[in-house]
Amino acid sequence: MIRGLWDRETVALMVLASLLPLTVMWLQVEGIAAVGRLIFFLVFAGIWHVVFMLARAQPPSFAGAVTALAIAILVPRELNVVQVLLGLSFGVVMAELVFGGWGRNILNPATVMLSFVGFGFPQAPWPDLIAQIGWAAIPAALVGWLTGVFSARIILGALVVFGIASLGGVDFSDIYPAVAVVLVLLVCDPVASAATQLGRWLYGALFAGLIVLFTLYWQGAAAIQLSIAAALLANLCAPILDEIAIASWLALRRRNLG
Amino acid sequence: MQWPIRGGLSVHVADLPAPSRAVPVQITEEAGLTAAWDDDFRVEPLVAEGDRVAQGAPVLRSRHYPEIVVTAPMAARVAKIGLNAGRRLSRIVFYAESEAGRHSFDTSAANSLDAPAAMRTSLQESGLWSAFRSRPFGGEPVPAEVPTAIFVMAIDTRPGAPEPRLALSGHEEEFARGLRALTMLGDGPIFVCQPRGKTLFDTSGLGERVRVIKSGGQHPWGLPGFQIHRNYPADTGKPVWDVHAEDVAGIGAFLETGLVPETRLISVTGSALREQRYVHCQPGADLRGLSHGLVKPGRHSILSGSALDGHEARWLGPRQRQATILSGESGQHRRHWFLSALQGASRPLPIIPTAALDQAMGGSLPTAALLRALSAGDAETAVKLGALSFLAEDMALVDYVTGAEPRFSDVLTTLLERIAEEEVG
Repeated sequence: MIRGLWDRETVALMVLASLLPLTVMWLQVEGIAAVGRLIFFLVFAGIWHVVFMLARAQPPSFAGAVTALAIAILVPRELNVVQVLLGLSFGVVMAELVFGGWGRNILNPATVMLSFVGFGFPQAPWPDLIAQIGWAAIPAALVGWLTGVFSARIILGALVVFGIASLGGVDFSDIYPAVAVVLVLLVCDPVASAATQLGRWLYGALFAGLIVLFTLYWQGAAAIQLSIAAALLANLCAPILDEIAIASWLALRRRNLG
Repeated sequence: MQWPIRGGLSVHVADLPAPSRAVPVQITEEAGLTAAWDDDFRVEPLVAEGDRVAQGAPVLRSRHYPEIVVTAPMAARVAKIGLNAGRRLSRIVFYAESEAGRHSFDTSAANSLDAPAAMRTSLQESGLWSAFRSRPFGGEPVPAEVPTAIFVMAIDTRPGAPEPRLALSGHEEEFARGLRALTMLGDGPIFVCQPRGKTLFDTSGLGERVRVIKSGGQHPWGLPGFQIHRNYPADTGKPVWDVHAEDVAGIGAFLETGLVPETRLISVTGSALREQRYVHCQPGADLRGLSHGLVKPGRHSILSGSALDGHEARWLGPRQRQATILSGESGQHRRHWFLSALQGASRPLPIIPTAALDQAMGGSLPTAALLRALSAGDAETAVKLGALSFLAEDMALVDYVTGAEPRFSDVLTTLLERIAEEEVG
């Protein structure tokens, strides 16, 4: 019998491939300092994966590199090494590896790490993402959609809500690069996002709805900060959105088939 | 009102020839019927080794259900009857001997199409009963089972499968007669699943109970499991049968003539063949005979069934309509011991919900939730999501796409066995 190739590592590599446009743009904008930061996070996320491989026989995953990349782009720049390592370890270990590795986790490890840093060290300023990086999220989303690792429903669900809100007069001009980057880096993660079709629409819409809410009522929050808060809350709600989707699917089926 | 079917995946194995030429008939020199070791098919032989049997003559009788018989696939001499402990069938092998002729049954009572009991008896004593498969749990229906619905599959989307339309062309009348025969087996609807386009047969005079489902979509939408799951889910106490359209035409022909159909249309495909072909051959045909002279040099494995759900076999399996000959070593290649150990330690491998996974289950049910319930052995959720309509073959595409370990086909089979035991015990 023949076997296909969409196992976990292929999917992880496809996610990485989708994020390449974003990565290249970011490296070009931020230069050598960004390269150093990316290598630093890759090495330490890799170390945790190796530790869990040796201690718990969990195969390491390329998804660790996705986490490292997301953290390197979004982490506050003025944290010292200890603070960053604490955050990284908390995210990678507590949100992913203790559950059995990528594919069994509930929350996205990068979202958890960034929220942890945000709560733990609130005085550190969040970086400003310039518009080019925000635009680079569009090819990333397209490649992810074409390879099937990102769901178009999540992105469309978010776009619908953003569209309605901007018609209603909400101004996204300051925050859209951060929102776009967080959307492809954290929200579209195939494992932590909702897994049903209706669930994905709701999940994307919820993320965008939270962004709108925070833009209107959260005074003084940085763009990345409120995007990450929205990503974390949407992530926490993903299982219940899936439950809603399954319940409605079952109800529809009962009505159609008796 | 339901959404029209879209979605699914196409898996390319080999290009079948355009069915323009007349499809040859080939009766292989040997034919055999086997049972898996865990089938527990206990039989009473009706013939002895060395006997000459006519095509269609009963050769084995089930000990659990004496109504069920197995008939000879061709005019032949019985070469070998292999029985395991407890008279469980392991295999029965025939050598062709065309002088033995064909066995004829008296079908006058059943052919009147108004005596349900006679219809059942006719189908059972001629071995045509084995064309049906009952869900939930699979397998041939027990003699007294009354289906709540029957799905007639005039569509097959497995890679390399022969088009049922090709098998039906020229037999439309027999097909309609066969459908009328099916309406006598139960009170429920008869669904005929066919590709989009012109209706394949004349629906007049068949009544309200025969309904046509025109299905678009790629694999797996041509599998009975997905059509049943979508249109008429099976449940314990609500058995749903499926049967191939060609077998229904065969039943129609049998009722008129009293002769069990000699051949079925199968495709012989695969990467190890120089030439892909269609052939009419007997049930249980020798797969090496069918591919003889066509195989490229080098190692190959011969599967009964498609490249996705087939199993290595010597003989064409029951209800199978495909022989697949794949080049290269069968099974997985050897990997470094450390990688295999790592993989082995983390089973079942996690499932990443991607678009490929959704499409592998047809794109219209909560795939990830169903697969997670299966991996976790959560029978209650799996049943709620419709697992009772599925059988191992329906999971073959998911196994192919994800390279799942252990295979979802096996996981589902185990789960269904457990549910069956709980229901019965």
